[in-house]
Amino acid sequence: MAAITTENLTKYYSKGAIRALEDLTLQVEPGVIFSLLGPNGAGKTTLLKLLLGICHPTRGNAKLFDQDIRDYHSHTKLGYLAENHRFPEFLNANQVLYYYGKMGGVSSNILNERIPQLLKLVKLDNWGKTKTRKYSKGMLQRLGIAQALINDPELLFLDEPTDGIDPVGRREIRDLLISLQDRGKTIFLNSHLLSEVERVSDQIAILKEGRLKQKGTVQEFISMKDQFQIRMIDGKESIEAECARLNIGLSSQNGAYFVSVNDDQHLNQLIDALRNRKVTIQAIIPHKITLEDFFIKVIEEKEEKKS
Amino acid sequence: MKILAIIQLTFRESFAKKTFIAFFGISTLTCLLFIFALNLDIVNGMQSSISLFGQEAQGLVELDRILFGIESAVAVLLFTGGLFMSLFATSGLIPSFLQTGNVELLISKPMSRWHILTGRFLGGVAIVAFNVFYLVIFSWLILSIKTGIWNWGFLFSGVMIVITFAILYALMTFLGIITRSGAFSLMITYLILFFSPLLLQRNQIYALLSGKFYAYLLDGLYHFLPKTSELGNITRLLVQGESVASWTPLWTSFFFGILMFGLSTYIFSRKNF
Repeated sequence: MAAITTENLTKYYSKGAIRALEDLTLQVEPGVIFSLLGPNGAGKTTLLKLLLGICHPTRGNAKLFDQDIRDYHSHTKLGYLAENHRFPEFLNANQVLYYYGKMGGVSSNILNERIPQLLKLVKLDNWGKTKTRKYSKGMLQRLGIAQALINDPELLFLDEPTDGIDPVGRREIRDLLISLQDRGKTIFLNSHLLSEVERVSDQIAILKEGRLKQKGTVQEFISMKDQFQIRMIDGKESIEAECARLNIGLSSQNGAYFVSVNDDQHLNQLIDALRNRKVTIQAIIPHKITLEDFFIKVIEEKEEKKS
Repeated sequence: MKILAIIQLTFRESFAKKTFIAFFGISTLTCLLFIFALNLDIVNGMQSSISLFGQEAQGLVELDRILFGIESAVAVLLFTGGLFMSLFATSGLIPSFLQTGNVELLISKPMSRWHILTGRFLGGVAIVAFNVFYLVIFSWLILSIKTGIWNWGFLFSGVMIVITFAILYALMTFLGIITRSGAFSLMITYLILFFSPLLLQRNQIYALLSGKFYAYLLDGLYHFLPKTSELGNITRLLVQGESVASWTPLWTSFFFGILMFGLSTYIFSRKNF
């Protein structure tokens, strides 16, 4: 059973004038960290809102653990951290977790046990009795994460979870996400911080203008097939000569050499030739691009096609 | 219970905004006034002297008339001033829960939208009911102990005031859902509250109007809108132990409240946030 399934999910606003999401068909397996990427206005938040029942689809279907999103019972197993969430300022952290936990159907006994644990987890254990109006943005974000976890959800929707959080805090949240995944939770992440997404995600989907442009694993997108970086000491002339002889594409950047080979055997021919020339090879690294590079490439590719 | 959590949260919000405390403080002051400032000297079921803040009233008056008079004054004060204050105090509750960042979190919980709105509505009504019954029951007890006359009709006045508030609050909820503006909802609700006595006198207004259309319009408005003026009159009759000639204003106003709340839940359920 998939954690999330969408089938031709579509959302129009203003009688079709704004097409926020168009025929999205997607499946997210349980236990993965799935990230949704896209430029502003791509339909990321709309998709999240549709899945959570915050807005209604124009057409199409979606299910969370095989339960239709139109049925509010499908929310029983989920936790949600909204972007720019707003907790009542007159409540302290203990009270926020208590009331939102109660609304999530968690019993008082469990809440009494879980609230201190969650506050400790998000490093707010000394702030439990302080009114949230005195919290910084980062603290509110941590409290939002604790709130999303209050019902021990199977599926976690996080909209910009590291927003307003310092680098140390971001790392802690990253570790938290990985530990949650280890416990079998499915995490649906919506973030602008591509470096964060790259580090934690198993799968990503790229949306643009309400349509799905790419979906796959992070490794799939950032690995450049048959491209390698070669680090060596003083072998400039040798590598240029051998690459020309073996018909291997060569480029260099900041003292590093990048080669494009046909296959592994082709690469080994180059290595043998360089070793015969007594070139000292320090490292051969499969060349990868960053997720940011890939994202920009996908977005710009389509722009080019358009123009 | 999930809905109970929303009601409790609404209570807390009202408490935090100090409106609840102000209301509670005024109620407590009124009760303390009855305890300490009102002195009755009773001889053979008749009041031989009555004093308020030490000022003595002269003459022999029947005790039940004094009691009914005081209780009527409290009920009328609650019906007018209390309703006015209650509507003011609760006008922000619907728009505040519809704020971006809050409503999304609530909808993401495993509750139907109907439950969420009902919880919020009941929370608002519960705040007012608590304060109204606190004042009514407390002052009823004091006055009954002091006079030895137990006027149960006074307790029913509390029920009438809460029902009237609930009807008007349903309208305010409807307006709040549509406009998300507490000030606008409050203005329209006040308008209807104060328009009611005018509509009751519509027969006299007809004479001033030229066209039949206006007469139909006023008639239509009278039958459709809550009849707060008549509800106030029913409250007074209940306190004074007199029989109520017609309960129609109550049922029609009640129907208006149900209609407004039904429309509110329908719109809220279909709304995109």
